[in-house]
Amino acid sequence: MVSTQAHFLATGKIPPLLSKLGKAARVLAPVRTATTVTLFQEWQAGAELALSRQASMPPKGVVFPQTEQLLSYAYTKDANDLTRTTVALDHQLDIKPTILFGARACDVQGLAVFDQVFTHGEWQDDAVTARKDALTIVTLLCHESESTCFCTSVGGSPTATAGSDLALTPVDGGYLAEAITDKGKTLVKDEAFTPAKDKQVKEAQRVRDAIKKQDVLPLKQIEQKIIKLFSTEFWDQVSASCVSCGACTYVCPACYCFTITDEPAGMQGERIRTWDSCMFYQYTLEASGHNPRPTKADRYRNRIGHKFSYHPTNYKGAFGCSGCGRCIKSCPVSLDIRQVLREAAKHG
Amino acid sequence: MPVLADIKEAITRELEGLALVIGWGQGYDPVHAVPFFCRSSADIDRLIWNPLCVHNLVSYLPKLKGKKVGILCKGCDSRSIVQLLQEKLIKREEIVIIGIPCRGVVDMNKIQALINGKEVIDCSFTDKTITIKTSEGKQEASLDDVLAAKCLVCQYPTPIIFDHLAGAAFSAQRPAAAVDAEVKEIEGLDIPARLAHWERELDRCIRCYACRNACPLCVCRDHCAADARDPHWFSQRTGVNEKVMWQIMHALHLAGRCTDCGECERACPMNIPIQRIRRKINKEIKELFAYEAGVNPADTPPLYTFKVEEPTIKESEW
Amino acid sequence: MPGMEAKELRVVGFLCNWCSYGGADTAGVSRFKQPTDLRIIRVPCSGRVDPLFVVKAFMEGADGVLVSGCHPRDCHYAEGNFYARRRLEVLKRFLPFMGIDPGRFAYTWVSASEGARWQHVVTDFTAQVHALGSRRTFGEGGAGNAGTR
Repeated sequence: MVSTQAHFLATGKIPPLLSKLGKAARVLAPVRTATTVTLFQEWQAGAELALSRQASMPPKGVVFPQTEQLLSYAYTKDANDLTRTTVALDHQLDIKPTILFGARACDVQGLAVFDQVFTHGEWQDDAVTARKDALTIVTLLCHESESTCFCTSVGGSPTATAGSDLALTPVDGGYLAEAITDKGKTLVKDEAFTPAKDKQVKEAQRVRDAIKKQDVLPLKQIEQKIIKLFSTEFWDQVSASCVSCGACTYVCPACYCFTITDEPAGMQGERIRTWDSCMFYQYTLEASGHNPRPTKADRYRNRIGHKFSYHPTNYKGAFGCSGCGRCIKSCPVSLDIRQVLREAAKHG
Repeated sequence: MPVLADIKEAITRELEGLALVIGWGQGYDPVHAVPFFCRSSADIDRLIWNPLCVHNLVSYLPKLKGKKVGILCKGCDSRSIVQLLQEKLIKREEIVIIGIPCRGVVDMNKIQALINGKEVIDCSFTDKTITIKTSEGKQEASLDDVLAAKCLVCQYPTPIIFDHLAGAAFSAQRPAAAVDAEVKEIEGLDIPARLAHWERELDRCIRCYACRNACPLCVCRDHCAADARDPHWFSQRTGVNEKVMWQIMHALHLAGRCTDCGECERACPMNIPIQRIRRKINKEIKELFAYEAGVNPADTPPLYTFKVEEPTIKESEW
Repeated sequence: MPGMEAKELRVVGFLCNWCSYGGADTAGVSRFKQPTDLRIIRVPCSGRVDPLFVVKAFMEGADGVLVSGCHPRDCHYAEGNFYARRRLEVLKRFLPFMGIDPGRFAYTWVSASEGARWQHVVTDFTAQVHALGSRRTFGEGGAGNAGTR
């Protein structure tokens, strides 16, 4: 239900609002960077906001940047004994208050997966937790589903507000804004927001009700079915066309795998954490040279297994997928994860 | 469609002796074709052939070495087969090539622009037009407006090498580009502007390596120099420096080998115009060595050989 | 000599063991004055120079890169420099396309006896790099690094 306490935000007021918010916080918004590519970028006046469709990349980098320095180090030679060195370590966490504007419900559900693993799980990651705490999320609810969308099959909805601080619904001339949390309530105090008229509240409700229903995937007991298929040729068949690139994992709002490397430059260097992809051969390559997942079928099985079996087993049934469909859209061979799940449901 | 009937007939005849035949099938909606692995006679009817069959299926061949496989290929794709044969990376006796004379395939970005995120209900073609029915109505466009750039200057519509030809052969229907417009665009910029161009474009690279993995000539696959920690060509960082370094590495490893199929750019989820980097090298290779990759199985790639006197190389005058 | 007056730049030289490294040595032994910007990396043969060595040097911040080997027909390994010539020529024509100034990369041939020629090559090349000044690498100063992913 649309809140009757809602506000209205006119489309034309958004750019100045973002610029104003940008004075006190880092503001990320979906911006057109090339003909068909929209990315969450730091807002700069004059940039072209792209609010009509899902962005090409999810905003997961806001809590989990693709490259992040864990520490820097520098060796110093002992002047009296040049064979000896001392090492100095440095680590600084630079967290700024951040406003994420225009995320979709599936993007926000993706961030919930990061919460399960990094902020509310068995271990807390300082950096991710601090970034999440400093984050205000303004979600743009969808007015339609794309042909690749399947959020409703994995516990989400195009109009879900869970995890958001402020939710926007597109209406004539702008957006109906509903504060979900105290952070959201603070935001709507800005003069860019005006109290919504009754007719706008009704229109928002109509927009939400009019969204065409997505096909529902048969995910009942999929956790066990995937395990049953573990040692079968099923994975060779479904991954036959996969080219083993990392596009699906990097565009995924819920994929959180990373690698840690030391990047030296002479006597100094840094230890960084970067996104990794289970679709790469190197992901499981061991120092001995042995690789427990040598084929793309092994790796594809891991991707599906992790999202739809191991993750729900570890995190109270929650899927490691928010149904955004970017992996389908971005795949060079249009490999359809939904079709794979349907097949797994049938054969498992 | 007679071409498709020809294809199916050829496969029906050959399938028994083959582990599989790589072709195209229908994807998740009417405007997406997908690579399709045909393993039994029941699969044959799921094959399709139309201007949506954009993928260069040759990329799958090197990994299938040791198995006897059939492959469907367009004129441009056949150049990749020729190049792989030249380099002895695939065996001629292990592949059955079903060639398809091709009038062009679409650029999926142009199709996306047409449908603008709407759900596609149907897609059909005539010789000159494409008609897409979406939830918001019918869209008709001239095929020329949605064809991939490479098809608009195509010089090899009919496969160079094949065992079966589906449909009738024809020669190039369009004039070759006198100058490569995309390369020329960059060459028209001064050096700082070129640097800025690549910084801007490659900034959105996500290092997913789709450009590499979709490339039919990138045969190192799981053992790419880019992934090596020793030698440490570049770091794991997502800086522009690493991204530029990777593109240069890819382009240089393709020097004299790239068959201009455009899979790198087509595969890029961030739509980065990277094919022009390979094209620039192709242009220089052609100018220096009068060589075009993948057109003659008996050729030697120009960087695998030399002349004692190189009349086209003008060295510095020190 | 510009390299001696102005701020020193980072010029990397890949020199083959048999000719050019010897040539540089001859120049030194003969006490020919040379700019000090060049850092020499000795390689077995100019044919050993993967074009990516040059690219990597630029990526690590080199202002100029010079490759020098035996004269064609004089290669210690008979034909290494013939292959090198083709590769390096392609590289030379390609680097400017990516935004690296054509004056920053050169390849040439210097024999072990050509101390005077080495002096001439290294002086000229260094002057050429100095004329272009220090180089901005890709993404330096935050250019292009949106860093928001």
